[in-house]
Amino acid sequence: MAEKKLICRILTPEETVFEGEVEMVVAPGKDGEIGILPLHIPLVSVLKTGELRLKLNDNKWENIAVDGGYLEINEDKVIVLADFAVFASKVDVARLEARTKEIKAKIANIKDHGDEFFAATRELEYLANRLRVAKKNK
Amino acid sequence: MAQVREIKRRIRSVQNTQQITKTMEMVSAAKIRRAQFRIESARPYAAGMIDVLNNVGKRADVNLHPLLTRHEKIKKTVIVALSSDRGLCGAFNTNVIRLAEDIIAAEKQKNRAVTIFAIGRKAINYFNYVGYELIGELREMSDSPTFAHAKFIAGELIQKYTAKEIDKVVLVFNHFKSAMEQKAIKHVLLPISEETVAAEEVKLTADYLFEPSDGEVLNHLLPTYIKALIYRALLESAASEHGARRTAMKSATDNAVDMIARLTRTFNRARQALITQEIAEIAGGAEALKAVLQVGEEE
Repeated sequence: MAEKKLICRILTPEETVFEGEVEMVVAPGKDGEIGILPLHIPLVSVLKTGELRLKLNDNKWENIAVDGGYLEINEDKVIVLADFAVFASKVDVARLEARTKEIKAKIANIKDHGDEFFAATRELEYLANRLRVAKKNK
Repeated sequence: MAQVREIKRRIRSVQNTQQITKTMEMVSAAKIRRAQFRIESARPYAAGMIDVLNNVGKRADVNLHPLLTRHEKIKKTVIVALSSDRGLCGAFNTNVIRLAEDIIAAEKQKNRAVTIFAIGRKAINYFNYVGYELIGELREMSDSPTFAHAKFIAGELIQKYTAKEIDKVVLVFNHFKSAMEQKAIKHVLLPISEETVAAEEVKLTADYLFEPSDGEVLNHLLPTYIKALIYRALLESAASEHGARRTAMKSATDNAVDMIARLTRTFNRARQALITQEIAEIAGGAEALKAVLQVGEEE
């Protein structure tokens, strides 16, 4: 493998989710997945809610569910800024499923398609994403 | 006797108060540490955010974005006032409200209508009481805000600003200088100042690629920037609240100690007076008895 490594940091407003060397980053770009290897040209991309994968040094993959955000690459430093990010292995599936039911019930009760409806559907999307990522990597 | 018992009762009552304020002081001290930790945790994100924003701002046509454009005539100003839900925190809320009132007065002089977005029960109650129009309120979260709260506040403001319902947004909150010192400050949130986006000292490190496009990146970035700013203010306000409460509770505890010392002195004096009086009475009684006995002997 190449000598060069990427320094990857995954940041959310509430915490630093990941910080360390990786061999490859696969991110859910707005227009499709972006794979990043060392020596990538500088790039800023909008991410969509989805799955971010990190290839660690020992050839293991870590999967992280992210709620949208941005990704910046410059000089082999990858910075991911997401509203929320969680390792697939740390997702509390039972709790999220309960919350999903709650939200679905709430959506069923909303009559007009205003802000409330919009916020609820968006939360549902986040929940679905976290659950999907968690289940896939069981 | 009655006076001595009364003083004793007061000492006990002050001791109880002291115990409560002392506990509150310790609780707040622990909470400050946690709140400070949260501010620290938010810092890398904010720094990364500003980096990206500067890089994008240098290249994209920033004048086109609705959040960056100043409205032609500023007629409606919104003040976002961050207060606490609970009291007993010294001048914490008073400072925010006073600064907000100053801004309101200044804006009104320029013939601008002012509405309030009140956060924390103290601000909500105050502004309702004096009769300002509230365009939004949040409560029960002032001491442990999350990013979701910031998102909610930002969402409301951005939507109204883009729809040109409001022309200016000012944040008023307690800046957390240290655990001992907090200061109410204001920050103009919208329109976003151009310097933030395109700071002169930023050097162009490389040619960036934007995906899907620079405009699109900016579209996403600016609202997130607002959210991050609000989140930061919420965290600072929470840390300040605990700091102010600790200081207030510390001086309350100190006052209680002084008061107990004073009362104990008064108590001792009263007790001594009582004893002296009793001895005087006994001595007087004995004297009188002696006199009676002497009279008997003579007879």
